[in-house]
Amino acid sequence: MSRPRPSRSWFRIGQDVPSHRAGLLTACSFLLPLILWCAVSYTPWIWHPDIKLELSADRANIATFYTAGDHVSREYFPTFVGAVRQANRLVEQQALATESPRQIKRANLKKLRHLAPIAVGNGWLTPEERVDDAKLYRVWADLAEGRKEAVRPALTPENQQIVAQNWARLRTPTGTYDYTALPERPLLSLVPQGRPANPVYLPAPHEVVQTGYRDWTTPSANDGPTMAERMRHSIKIVFGGFFLAALVGVPIGILSGIYTTCSRLFEPFIDFFRYMPAPAFGTLLVAVFMAHDAPKIALVFLGTVFQLILVVAKTTRQLDRSLLEAAQTLGARPRHLLARVVVPGILPDLYNDLRILLGWAWTWLVIAELIGVKSGLTEFIETQGRFRNFDRVYPVIIAIGLLGFFTDQILAFGRAIFFPWVGTPSRGPAKWILQGLRGVRSFFGSAIRDREMGPRRVANLSSPSVAGGGAQP
Amino acid sequence: MSAVLDLPDYREQSPTVAARFQKLKERPVVLETHGLAKRFVTPHGRVSALEDIHLAVHRREFLTIIGPSGCGKSTLIRILAGLESATEGRVLLDGHPVTGPGSERGMVFQGYTLFPWLTVKKNVMFGLQMKGQGGGEADSQARQWIDLVGLSRFENSYPHQLSGGMKQRVAIARALATQPRVLLMDEPFGALDAQTRCQMQSYLLQIWRNVDVTIIFITHDLDEATYLADRILVLEANPGRMREVIEVPVPRPREVEQILSPEFLATRKRLEELIHPPGDARSDKLPMLKLTRVGDEVE
Repeated sequence: MSRPRPSRSWFRIGQDVPSHRAGLLTACSFLLPLILWCAVSYTPWIWHPDIKLELSADRANIATFYTAGDHVSREYFPTFVGAVRQANRLVEQQALATESPRQIKRANLKKLRHLAPIAVGNGWLTPEERVDDAKLYRVWADLAEGRKEAVRPALTPENQQIVAQNWARLRTPTGTYDYTALPERPLLSLVPQGRPANPVYLPAPHEVVQTGYRDWTTPSANDGPTMAERMRHSIKIVFGGFFLAALVGVPIGILSGIYTTCSRLFEPFIDFFRYMPAPAFGTLLVAVFMAHDAPKIALVFLGTVFQLILVVAKTTRQLDRSLLEAAQTLGARPRHLLARVVVPGILPDLYNDLRILLGWAWTWLVIAELIGVKSGLTEFIETQGRFRNFDRVYPVIIAIGLLGFFTDQILAFGRAIFFPWVGTPSRGPAKWILQGLRGVRSFFGSAIRDREMGPRRVANLSSPSVAGGGAQP
Repeated sequence: MSAVLDLPDYREQSPTVAARFQKLKERPVVLETHGLAKRFVTPHGRVSALEDIHLAVHRREFLTIIGPSGCGKSTLIRILAGLESATEGRVLLDGHPVTGPGSERGMVFQGYTLFPWLTVKKNVMFGLQMKGQGGGEADSQARQWIDLVGLSRFENSYPHQLSGGMKQRVAIARALATQPRVLLMDEPFGALDAQTRCQMQSYLLQIWRNVDVTIIFITHDLDEATYLADRILVLEANPGRMREVIEVPVPRPREVEQILSPEFLATRKRLEELIHPPGDARSDKLPMLKLTRVGDEVE
């Protein structure tokens, strides 16, 4: 008979997983969404419903126009290209002779400038030089005469040919640009070209990282606040509102928890008031506190304080009544009970409540920063979102998330340090991360020992770390 | 059992035991109650939890209170502690009426009730500090009480690091530290396993021998009640009335072996009769429903 082996299944109902697996799972929990995002972004045949234009074109008699960098849908793109080719055919057949030479010249100047995205993209011109017609003119010359070759983005052979054809009409005897010397016959339009892309609201990971890095490291334009300043401002709003709420809410909550009189006096109204959404008071708060930070802090306060009072009151009520009785049989007077029993007794739970309520306060941040004069990180999200610069929006959203998450985690670890009598966190991300770190370490550790000692010892070696992760009083 | 053993009457006392009771009754009464009653008004009408409790506990006596569940034992001890008020009657401590909880009536609860945020030593110091004693003095006194319950090594531990038995010893030390006249114990060992409970009973008797304190101890365990007590107060349920006060004829000092002595068994049998009257035996029987095969009988 073979010895019964411990089950190696990943799915065992109600059982803890070994810590090296826990670590792997924690890592995957973050990696999977990231992998999904990468897959959608970098695999051309997954989704990519749009074409991001590298070159665009004007079309006669159509009001909507696209410029390079715009997205058009994949279905529409062939129509767009076909229309431009049709227009070029008409130019070749000289069928557009109804326009005056002056109009044609202006149209030709526009067509000259159409090459700008290619010139900027390949680094031949700076973005500021995109309307410098003389320099663009040189680019046309260099491309047509083979002194330059477009690489990123490249020109399609069709467009390469159009460049050559146009240059034949553009070139002047002096070889320098002159508006008056622009041909009075229409030039050909460059045919729109582009590559498959996802919608603007889903930029690729590397774009988000690059723009994010740039936004966080460069000082902001036109004297606006830097990202760090914006973040500090947002933190000020959240913590300001939260601390005020705690200052007011904790005493009221504790009193409501221990005295029924207080509970009956405060809680019915609070129960009613908390159903009125704090943002509904936005304009009122601006009227009362003026337009800057005060109404924002007040909104976070309003959104947090009522919840806080009820939670603290509940926590206080949950304090073991027999502790109060025990204290009384030890000679504690009622006035001692509050300071010597109630407050120390609820402190660890109160700390946890406040931690959760701080998370609650973070959820009011965006709304708070939108009222009155927009400010902080939200103002950036709002502005860039309107310009559809979502690659600049995501880093800020992620930053808010990380800020909240890490504050919470640090506070969760703090609980074990401040309150040695309650032990380490038994649940929640703090424990998962702790376990995850241990798990990753023991995973590599056991892999190394595995090689040194052979497979038989592995099971024994990994078990202490399992117990370490799960042991709770 | 009674058919097998020929037991003496539980009221028969050997001369030494009789002399001991004589001496005990000459000591002053520490705690007494007169016509104590407790009634509640519930949606289903008035419920009487306790009726007509007359009690006189002498100095350094060990009284256990026993009774079927719902007889109001806990209500009684909570009234004695001052945590609840009686509907009728009075409680006197050294002749003075009791109006509320106080440190002269220390209490040990079934649920330990140690302050989880304080170390063992700080827990024991709590009552002393409430009395207004300074840090150094309270500290040394607390150590002495912790020594008494044998937990010196754990004076800086937090309650969650201790076993149930150790927690209860801390609770006893904490209650004794304020030097109460009476120690009230409400099923203190009810949550402990059988072995620990035995050990705790022995500890308690040793502590009681060395400390000038009167103990009133509630239990539902007949052996525990007999083993610990000088006198046992038996309550009956609905309403909670005094059924009998038994003077335990087992000599002191008590040893575990005595639970097989005739006096012990006689007392034990009497308690059994009072708490589980013979008429009730029929209600212990389950309806007959045989699920075994023929020839399978175990008895």
